[in-house]
Amino acid sequence: MLSPVLLIAIPLGFSFLAPLLKKGAKYIPPIAMLFNLILSILLVPQVMRKPIIVLLGGGWPPPFCINLVASPLGILLALLISLVGFLVSIYAIAYIKEGATEKYHTLYLLLLTGATGIVLTGDIFNLFVFFEILCISSYALVAYNGDKHGLESAVKYLIQGSIGSSFILIGIALLYGLFGTLNMADIANNISYHSLQSPTLYVALAFFITGFGVEGAIFPLNAWLPDAHSSAPSTISAILSGIAIKTGVYAIARVTYTLFSAKGFMIFIATIGIITLLIGEMSALGQKKDIKRMLAYSSIGQIGLIIFAFGIATYYGIFGALFQLVNHALAKSLLFLASGYMIYRVGSKELSAFEGLGKKMPLSSLVFTIGAFSLIGLPPFAGFMSKISIISAGIKANNTALFVFVIIVLFATIIEGCYFFRVVQNLYFKKSRDPAHNCVRDGCPTTQKSEMPISALIPIIILALLIVAIGIYPRLVTGIIESAAIGLMDKVGYIHQILGIF
Amino acid sequence: MRKIISLILLGIVCVGIIFALYSIPFGKDKIKVGKHYIYNGIKETGAVNIVTSVVLNYRGFDTLGEVTILFIAALGLGVVLYGKKKKRKEGLEPASLVLYTGCRFLFPLILLFGAYIFIHGHLTPGGGFQGGAIIASGFLLSYLGCPRKWISKERFNITESLGGLVFVIMGLIGLTIGGYFLSNFLPKGIANTLFSAGIIPILYCAVGFKVGAELAGIIYNMIE
Repeated sequence: MLSPVLLIAIPLGFSFLAPLLKKGAKYIPPIAMLFNLILSILLVPQVMRKPIIVLLGGGWPPPFCINLVASPLGILLALLISLVGFLVSIYAIAYIKEGATEKYHTLYLLLLTGATGIVLTGDIFNLFVFFEILCISSYALVAYNGDKHGLESAVKYLIQGSIGSSFILIGIALLYGLFGTLNMADIANNISYHSLQSPTLYVALAFFITGFGVEGAIFPLNAWLPDAHSSAPSTISAILSGIAIKTGVYAIARVTYTLFSAKGFMIFIATIGIITLLIGEMSALGQKKDIKRMLAYSSIGQIGLIIFAFGIATYYGIFGALFQLVNHALAKSLLFLASGYMIYRVGSKELSAFEGLGKKMPLSSLVFTIGAFSLIGLPPFAGFMSKISIISAGIKANNTALFVFVIIVLFATIIEGCYFFRVVQNLYFKKSRDPAHNCVRDGCPTTQKSEMPISALIPIIILALLIVAIGIYPRLVTGIIESAAIGLMDKVGYIHQILGIF
Repeated sequence: MRKIISLILLGIVCVGIIFALYSIPFGKDKIKVGKHYIYNGIKETGAVNIVTSVVLNYRGFDTLGEVTILFIAALGLGVVLYGKKKKRKEGLEPASLVLYTGCRFLFPLILLFGAYIFIHGHLTPGGGFQGGAIIASGFLLSYLGCPRKWISKERFNITESLGGLVFVIMGLIGLTIGGYFLSNFLPKGIANTLFSAGIIPILYCAVGFKVGAELAGIIYNMIE
């Protein structure tokens, strides 16, 4: 029986199994994620027709027990999580060699399980539980390298994340106190039919946005991100940047669109998004030393762009936001993975150390360039399609403020282009600064190619191919993104599907 | 100046929250889900302890998540402390005879009490988490009192993995037999007896073992 609950139960079961296997633990995450990938692909046609509501526990009708909602949006994100998770876990087989490896692989799988749970659940407290699973495993993984920086940034992340989580919990408590239910559809039903204008709702909404905003790294709450992303192992930076912060964005979108129909509130979300975008891109431009910090700041900027697109609050805006979310997950995990082995080979995170690497590691440099171009939004890569849909959505919305914001988005794209071209220039158009480049002919140690191991090369090449494929043939993903966007707009439909089944 | 501004901001937030709390009918008879649990809980789940029926049946999926969070916390501590082990001092002073005898006498009793708490979780107050915590306190006592009798970390790891696996597998059996993940597929039995409430006692035993092993493992890691 193909039940969406298996998307959560199977990885969870595997992750309990993994510590028992010691050496074999590294093969557990790829197996579990491959299963998830296949299952979510199989579920896509079914979900496109009608969302699947899964009851858990005794099978009592909602709101009396927890239910999962496999809507197109949920399955789209579950598919993305399992795809990126699968590729990164293959990369990690060769990359993670030191430390408590079986613990790493267990925590990694649990992080992805948490993310899958967040996007599938239909219960606000269950969402909080999965959020905690995601956050706590990422705190531990940030500290995995065991050096001083890792521990420091993990503690920073831990403190901010815990405060954010407590805010979410307070928000949930306020809603439960008001309505006596935790089911998201039931809460949404209560809010829209009673059309309560009590200040409590706004306070609860503020708590939710602040709490999820910490994980989503929206502007004033993003202090943890650059440290955490740059000091974690590259695989974890890829997952944190590609998946973990997206779940925060998903939760904000779910709360604002489905739970509270906060229409008038959306311009505020768009403003926050634009500020985050500008701050992130400017800081990324300022990072000349550490490539991972640069990528981390660029993630903040991209998150700002996605949040801005959600804030446009039209169908086209949401479509652009989801499209950009998918593309950013692919491109940013590609960039972190590619830079992971490049840093490993040159032995430094400094941008200047990458000079001339295009000759030594041709394939990695090529895929890095593809990822960077996709993020900037150059055709024919995937990022172009999503950026242009966000920009046209902003213009179509017929709102002066949004129009100004679109101009800022274009400006931010130029900044983005500046710092990514700087890296690409270093890779290809500068000579290697190695002392050995003085030596005359063959036998120079630096001229020989030192590509990544094959198990690391395959995932990043697949990611690069996906980016090009989506860029050339967007219909590959736009079908499910369209129905996901419709599903997110259709609050009444969501309530009826869940509460109307009994 | 900055302090004054932040104080003013905090004051505004406080006022907002106080307003918000005023309009919530806390404690009034309005909680519709809660009412359903109180009136139908015993009939639908077979567990006399309504808290247990909520924790393991209506919201059993959350409990699985919470157990996982504890598992992650224990693992995460292992990751952070990895490679930082200092050699334990060889010349640990042996505990006095009174402490040593007391530990050896109390340790099995504490374990028994913990097991009682989680096995009877569906009948009396308490359950897997509480029972597990009691068991872990027994281990703490034995670590402090009789340092010779350390139980290896390996066994804790195996116990916590098995506890989690039992929970997931029971859920999957429920999915195949009952159609819902974690559905109560065993007969509910007669209320108020030990063998009642279907899978709830089994799940609580798994949770009890798991929580006990995890907390004891955390204590072990911290002492080391």
